[in-house]
Amino acid sequence: MSSTTKASRIGEELWKTRVDKVNAELVTLTYGTIVAQLCQDYDGNYQEVNKQLEKMGYNIGMRLIEDFLAKSNIGRCANFRETADMISKVGFRIFLNIAPTVTNWTSDNNQFSLVFDENPLADFVELPDDGRAQDELWFSNILCGVLRGALEMVQMQIEAHFVSDVLRGDDATEMRVSLVRYIEDEMPPEEE
Amino acid sequence: MTVFSLIIINKAGGLIYQREFQPGLRKLSTNDYLVLAGTFHGVHAITRTITPKLPLLTPTATASTPTSASSNLASPSGTSTPIPPTTTTTTTTTTTTTTTTTSVAATTYTYPIPGVPATGLESLETDKFRLTCFQTLTGTKFLLFTDPHMANIEVVMKKIYEFYADFVMKNPFYQLEMPVRCEAFDRNLNGWLRGRT
Amino acid sequence: MAQPPPRHATMLSLSNSNSNSNSHSNLSSTTTISTPQTQTHLPTPSQSSTGLRVPSNRKTIYDRHLNRSRNAELSRASFAFLFGEMVTYAQRRVTGIQDLERRLNEQGYPLGLRLLDLLFYRTVTGSSSSSALSSSSSTSASPPNRPLRILPLLHLIHGPLWRLLFTRPADALEHSVSPDTPNEYMITDNDPLVNTYISVPKEMSMLNCAAFVAGIIEGVCDGCGFEAKVTAHNQPTEMWPSRTIFLLRFGESVMEREKVLERAGVK
Repeated sequence: MSSTTKASRIGEELWKTRVDKVNAELVTLTYGTIVAQLCQDYDGNYQEVNKQLEKMGYNIGMRLIEDFLAKSNIGRCANFRETADMISKVGFRIFLNIAPTVTNWTSDNNQFSLVFDENPLADFVELPDDGRAQDELWFSNILCGVLRGALEMVQMQIEAHFVSDVLRGDDATEMRVSLVRYIEDEMPPEEE
Repeated sequence: MTVFSLIIINKAGGLIYQREFQPGLRKLSTNDYLVLAGTFHGVHAITRTITPKLPLLTPTATASTPTSASSNLASPSGTSTPIPPTTTTTTTTTTTTTTTTTSVAATTYTYPIPGVPATGLESLETDKFRLTCFQTLTGTKFLLFTDPHMANIEVVMKKIYEFYADFVMKNPFYQLEMPVRCEAFDRNLNGWLRGRT
Repeated sequence: MAQPPPRHATMLSLSNSNSNSNSHSNLSSTTTISTPQTQTHLPTPSQSSTGLRVPSNRKTIYDRHLNRSRNAELSRASFAFLFGEMVTYAQRRVTGIQDLERRLNEQGYPLGLRLLDLLFYRTVTGSSSSSALSSSSSTSASPPNRPLRILPLLHLIHGPLWRLLFTRPADALEHSVSPDTPNEYMITDNDPLVNTYISVPKEMSMLNCAAFVAGIIEGVCDGCGFEAKVTAHNQPTEMWPSRTIFLLRFGESVMEREKVLERAGVK
C-alpha cells in the first residue's frame, strides 16, 4: 500500500510541477477526430479500427516511455505490482491527469485491471447508433497499445484489452492488463 | 563548465547522434565516431557483465571469460541491452549468455533484478576530459564529453534526456533507432547549453 | 468559378464515425456518403434513434455539463503524441506533401465546427466566460452573435478561438494588400503549438503540419456560413523559426454578400 501512496505522491507532484499543459478539449477532440477518421478509412469495420488504434497506441507508447522516464526519473520497478502502481498513479496522471484504480489481481500477481472513473479521451463522446458500434468498437483502445509499447521498451511484454466501457452502456470502464513475460537479452517478437 | 560534445547510441550500439558544442573543436571522422560508439557500447556491456555477483542459489557464479569478452569488443554492434533489434549481435548475445548462465542455470529468469541492477560503465576520465554515460531504462545511451572538473553533470544529462523526449520522440518524422536529424532538438539543446555558460 | 458547397453539410455529430467524411462530396449525395455503414449494417430491427445502451449510473454525455471540461487541462505531451501519430498515419496514405496537408486539413475541419458551437454556447450562457470574447472583436458587452461580416469572423478566430485552443490570441491579422485578391486574409501564429516538437525533414520543407489548424479555421468559417479555403504556410524568422501564416481565401459568394451587407450598413 505504501508504494501506491508513494506513486500517487510522485504523480501528483509531477503533474503540478513538471507537466506542460494544454486545453483538455483540444486533446479530446483531436483523439475523436482520429477515431472518426479510422472509422471512415476502414469503412465502419470496427474490429479493424480497434486493431489500428492499438497499433497507433503501440507506436506512441514506444516514444512516450522516454518522456515518462525523463520526467519522472523513476528507476526500474521491483515487481509487476509496483509497475501497475506506476502506470496508474504516475503514467496516467502525467499524461491524462487521471489515476485509474488498480484492482482484481490474480493470485500469481501477473494480471490486474485498471478501472477508469474518468476518461478524458471519451469526453463528449457517444458511439454511433448503428447497432454495432456499442458491441464492437473499443473507443479508447489506443490506451492498450500505449501500455504495450511503453512496457515493451522497458523489457516487459504485456497484453492489454478493454473488458467494459461506459460508452457501450457498461457501468464501468475497465482494462485488463496481463504480464506475458519479462524480456531478457533476446530477440523481441516481430512487430511493426 | 564546459560541455564539449554529445553522442547518442541506440540500443543496438549504433551511433545515432553526434554534436560538438565548442566552436572549432577538432572533429573525429565519422568512422571514428562509429567505432567509438560501438566500442563503448561493447565495453559498457562487459562492465555490466563482470559486475561481481554473489552466489544466489548456485555457488558457480564467476566473471565472464576473457575470450568471450574480446569477441564482444570486436563487434561494434555488440550489446547486452535487453532488446537488440537486429540479428547482428550473435557474438555478444553469446557473451551475455555465458555469463548469465552461471547463475541462471540453476534458477530461472530473475530479470529485472529486484533492487539495484548492474549499470555498466558510467564515467571515464583523463586529465583533459571526462566522458559520462547515462543509459536510459530503454537502453539508449547518452555520452557527454565535458571538462573533467565540471560539476552537476547529472543536471545537464537530465535536461538532454528531456530535450530528447520532447524534440526527438515527439517528432512524427523521426523513426525510432535511426539517426537523429531534428532541427528543433539541435536548436533547443544548443540554446540551453549556451544559456548555461 | 464554381464554389464547392460548404462542407458542414456533410457533418454529423462527433459520435458518428463518418463525421468528417469527404469534404468535397456533393450535397445531393450527402446522405449516402456520410453514413455508408449505417445504410449497410442497420439490420438490427429494434434500433431506433435511441437505440444506444446507457450505463445504469447514467454517465452519458447528456448527464454531464458541457462546461465541465472548459477549464480542464491535459498534458501537452499527450496532444503531441496523438497529433504526431495522426501525421504518421496520414503520411502512410498520401501521395505527397499537398495531399498530406489536405488530409490534415480534413482532420481539423470537424474540430472547427464543434469548437464554434462550443464558443457560442459558452459565451451565451456563462457570463464569466465573456472575458474570453470581449477583448477582441465586439465593442459592446453583449454576447457576440454569429458574425455576419468577415471582420468580426476574423476577430472571432484570432481571439476567442485561439484562446480556447491555445490559451492565447493569434499574433497578427492582416488583409491582403493586393487589389487582385481582396478575398485574402492572413492570420499569423509566431509559434504554433501543434508544431512545437516537430522538425520537418529537409526534403519536405514545404510541409506545415499546422494544416490541421488551417482545417479547424476552415471549419469555423464554414460553420458560420463563410465558405473559405484555408492553408498554412511557413514564414520563419530568426526569432520565430516555426512562424506560420494561415491564409484565408473566401469564396466569391461570400465576397458578394459582403458588398450587399456593406451597402445595407450591417456591421
